[in-house]
Formats: sequence, C-alpha cells, structure tokens
Amino acid sequence: MTTASPELVLEGLARRYGNTTAVERMDLAVKPGELVALLGPSGCGKTTTLRMVAGFVEPSEGRILLRGRDITTMPPHRRDTGMVFQSYALFPHLTVAENIAFGLQRRGVPKPEAAERVARMVALLQLQGLEKRLPKQLSGGQQQRVAVGRALVINPAVVLLDEPFSNLDALLREGTRIELRRLQTELGLTTLFVTHDQAEAMAISDRIAVMNKGRLEQLGTPREVYDRPATRFVASFIGRANLFVSADGRTSEDGIALDIPTPGTWLLRPEKVTLDQAPATGPNSVAGTVEVVSFLGTGAQAVLRLPGGRALLIEGPASLADLRPGASATARWTPQDLTLIPGEH
Amino acid sequence: MISLRSPFGWVLRLMAVLTFIYLLGPLFVIVAASFSDTGYLAFPPQGLSLRWYRQALGDVRYLNGFFVSLRLAGTVAVLSLLIGTAAAVALTRFRFPGRALLEAIFLSPLVLPGLVLAVALTLFYAAHPVAPPGLPRLVISHLLVGVPLVLRVMLPVLKRVDPALEEAAQNLGASPLHAFFLVTLPALKPGLFAAAALAFIFSFDEVEMALFLGSARDAPLTVVLYGAAQMQMDPTVAAVSAMLILLALILMVAQQAYANR
Repeated sequence: MTTASPELVLEGLARRYGNTTAVERMDLAVKPGELVALLGPSGCGKTTTLRMVAGFVEPSEGRILLRGRDITTMPPHRRDTGMVFQSYALFPHLTVAENIAFGLQRRGVPKPEAAERVARMVALLQLQGLEKRLPKQLSGGQQQRVAVGRALVINPAVVLLDEPFSNLDALLREGTRIELRRLQTELGLTTLFVTHDQAEAMAISDRIAVMNKGRLEQLGTPREVYDRPATRFVASFIGRANLFVSADGRTSEDGIALDIPTPGTWLLRPEKVTLDQAPATGPNSVAGTVEVVSFLGTGAQAVLRLPGGRALLIEGPASLADLRPGASATARWTPQDLTLIPGEH
Repeated sequence: MISLRSPFGWVLRLMAVLTFIYLLGPLFVIVAASFSDTGYLAFPPQGLSLRWYRQALGDVRYLNGFFVSLRLAGTVAVLSLLIGTAAAVALTRFRFPGRALLEAIFLSPLVLPGLVLAVALTLFYAAHPVAPPGLPRLVISHLLVGVPLVLRVMLPVLKRVDPALEEAAQNLGASPLHAFFLVTLPALKPGLFAAAALAFIFSFDEVEMALFLGSARDAPLTVVLYGAAQMQMDPTVAAVSAMLILLALILMVAQQAYANR
C-alpha cells in the first residue's frame, strides 16, 4: 500500500467566495485502498473539499487528479466517484433495487449483469427482502445502507462519504461505522470521508486530515495526530488537552513548575496525569482542589482546580470517582508525558 | 385546542355550516333549477325533467362553445405548465440578484381583477396586433394568469425537493438534463397534475377576457352562456352551468386522488 502511486491527489486546491476563503491551498494524496477522514468543525472547508472532488464545487485554484487523470474541470457525471450524501438523497420514486441499479444503467451495464451486481450488493449490505420497497418504507439504518450500496455498486475510483452516520442514533452509528470500515477494507475502496466527529474519524480512518478555517492543519495516522499534534487546534480538537505555555522552560505562564527542554506550548493528555493525596514535590507535580468527578464506567474523569485558576483535566481508573469534590489532591506526571506542539511559539 | 363540545365549539360548528351554505348555495340553486320542468328558470324547481340537458347537448352553439373551450383550456394548461414549471425551477435552483422581486412580479397577475386585465389587453392589442384575433389572442391572455397559477403550485413543491437528489443522479453518471428528467421531474408529478388542472379550470371558466378578446366565430362556452343568459333565461343555461360544475368537480377530485396515492 505504501509503494503504490496515489489514487486521488489534491494539488494546491483552493476555493474562495469573494473575499472569504472556504478552502486554502490544500495538498492531499490518498493511496489505493486507503480511508482518509477530513475532520474539522463546521465551516472548516471539509465538505467544500469533498464537493470539489465530486465536481459540485469548482475550485478557484489547484488541480484534482484521479488515477493520474486531471479531473479538475470535468463535469460530475463523467468523474468516477461514488458519493454517499448526508441526507442519503435516495430517489423517492424508485425501489431499493432500482436505486442501487441507477448508476449501472447510466453506465450502460447490460441488464443481466446489472441485476447480478445489484443482487450481490443487496446481499453484502443485508438488504435481502427489501428490494421492492420504496425509500420511505425503510428505517434510517436501511436507507443509509441503500445509499452506500448505490455508491459502491458502480466500483468508483474513489468513494466519497459526507457525514454518512450523522442521521443515525448513537447505538446504530457505532455498529454501522465498523461495518462500513470492514466493507471498505475487504473491497479495497479508496475513500474520502467527511466528519466533524473526532471519535468517528479515529475509529475508522487510516489517516486523518484535520482542517480548521479552510486550512489543512495536520495530516497523519490517528495515533500521530493524537500523540503528536502539529498545532494547538489539533491538540484540543482531537481528544482532550491540558496545554502549558512556557517562555523559559521552567514555569508555565500561570506559574506551574515544569521541567522541559525548550520554551513553547506543551501538551499534557489527561490520561497521563495521576492524582494522589501526598504533597507536591517540585516540577511536574501540582496541588489543587478537586472540583468535579465523573464516573464513566470504564474509568473516571476529574477536574482539579489549581491555585493559578486553571482547571486541570485528569482521566484515570474508576477509583478516581471516589474522590470527594472539595478535597485537596496532587496531580503528577513525568517530563516524557509532555509533548511539544511545533506549530506554536 | 377548543373542544367542539364546548359552547364555543357549537358556535364554530354553526359558522362552518353557514359558510358551506354560503359557498355552495349558488351552485345548489343553479343545479336544482336545471332540473325544472318549466320553460323559464325557476327555484325551487317545479317538476322534474332532464329535457334541458337534452336540449343543451343538442344545441350546436353550446357544443361548438364546449369544443372551443376545450381547445383553449387544453392549450393554456400545457403552455402554462411548461413555462410556469421552467420559471419555478429557475427561481428555486439558481441564486441571482432580484430573484425575490422576479417571483413577486411573476405572481402579480393573480391579484388583478379579470376585467382590468381584459380591458388592458384589449387596448394593447388594438395598438399592437401582435397575435391574430380569436383563440391565439385568448391563449396568450390566459397565460398571464395560467403561468402564475402553475408557479404558485410548483414553487413550494420544488422547494421541498432535496437538491442533493439531482447531485446524486449526476454523481452516478446522469448528465444534468438526464438528472432533471429521471429524478426531479418524477418527484414533481403530483404537483404538475394539480397545477395543470388549476390552469385548465381557470381558462375553461374564464369570462371577461373571453368576452373582450374572443371572436364571435370561436366563442368559448362561457361566452355562449353569457349571451344566452342575456337573451333567453331558459333552464338550458342552468343545465350547461351544472355540467361545467361537474367537469370542474371531476378534475378536482381526480387531482386530489392522484396526489393522495
């Protein structure tokens, strides 16, 4: 997978509306069979990027290459993409089978072959028995699977997913995303996946492109963006973060004693912090007052209010929830637990 | 919610009944009078007879008028549907400056009294004979109201169609034109039928413009009826009117049945 040439390439892709920039000169290469998530808050340009690949938004600048072919100015219906829309956009007057067969008919696939491919997709997505139903006679989860089937049955060069799980309830969402990931890996589908949900992106992506205000902030594996975030935005958007800004490498701006090699902005993940009742012992430990504890089942979370006013977030074993709010406690960590955020000075 | 059993609820019921009587009363009078066995229009009808229906159906003036009206209303319905739907698509799918103003202008003929339109058009055609007199003029004039009627029905229908539908069709390989015909148009079907029925009924029942702009040779049914009502008030007029009401009723019921499928 690492040696193959990329399937989809975005080169300096930008979109501006008048004076506002929706997407700023973005470079991205998606390898064959790879699932890349475009992750960011609403308005970050992730959907605009996806729509540029599909051909519904014209780039102001840059190029899009699909399997080595420049498709930048190609109309949507000539591009070889299969998109799953957030609203699913199932054709309301067509049955499940007719919806799935739509793309095959447009491509002039002979009827017997089309019927066979539709049947295979129906079986793959466990939609047997629903072939003759209309979309409005299906549950949300079934509609979602029809939308996925309709996009996959044409074997597109790239699959585009626009928040495909956002209309499902929480319980269904997790099962569906695992199912989709399994399908994507088995069929070796090159996929671009738009989401605002960092947990969703972490769970099923090979790599995550974190976007903010039209800019690509970081591109990396879920581990990379979590463990070594490139910017303060990435650090706080992916997972939870305690950030220390230190000008001298000795203390943070709000007076917490640190022991770090260089000045800069440092990240301390909540799960790296331990809490005990012994007094503080110099750098990398700080005493405070327990403010809130929440039991999360698999673990617990605590907020420690420090003398400087900062709230330190701590995640640990369920026993953390035994602490009483108002009790004094000391947070500790080792210097290796601190990660320098390179994008900040 | 107000309970229908409360004293106020009874007032509401009474109001509803009175409103129905007020709205449907004239129709009832004319339909009842058409069955009268007298040589003049009488209400309540005296005797019971279908002879005025026989006479109306045998009268070549009414028959001719009916076919003129059918041609007129059919043409107006089809043209209104084409122009009105195209305008509605443009007004809902594209963003351009002055869109709201254009929408208001498109709908404005609906609020003009028919007589005002008729007089204005008569003056206009006198100065600029852009279309031959008779049916062509009448078709063009009826479009002034037929198109806004279609627009009025189709705008909300189009606004409810998910724009992602056409995008999905294009994404799957349909050209923009194919996408419209394969996906958007079928979603519009019930609306199209209602819009066409409205335009048809309007044109079929319209009097003022038909009187002012129609030719004597190709007089629509309403004009024939108007003439007859002035000359001899026999129950034939009532019989023809009753059949017109029946036609409108059939169209409305068919359209409702189609929409509720």
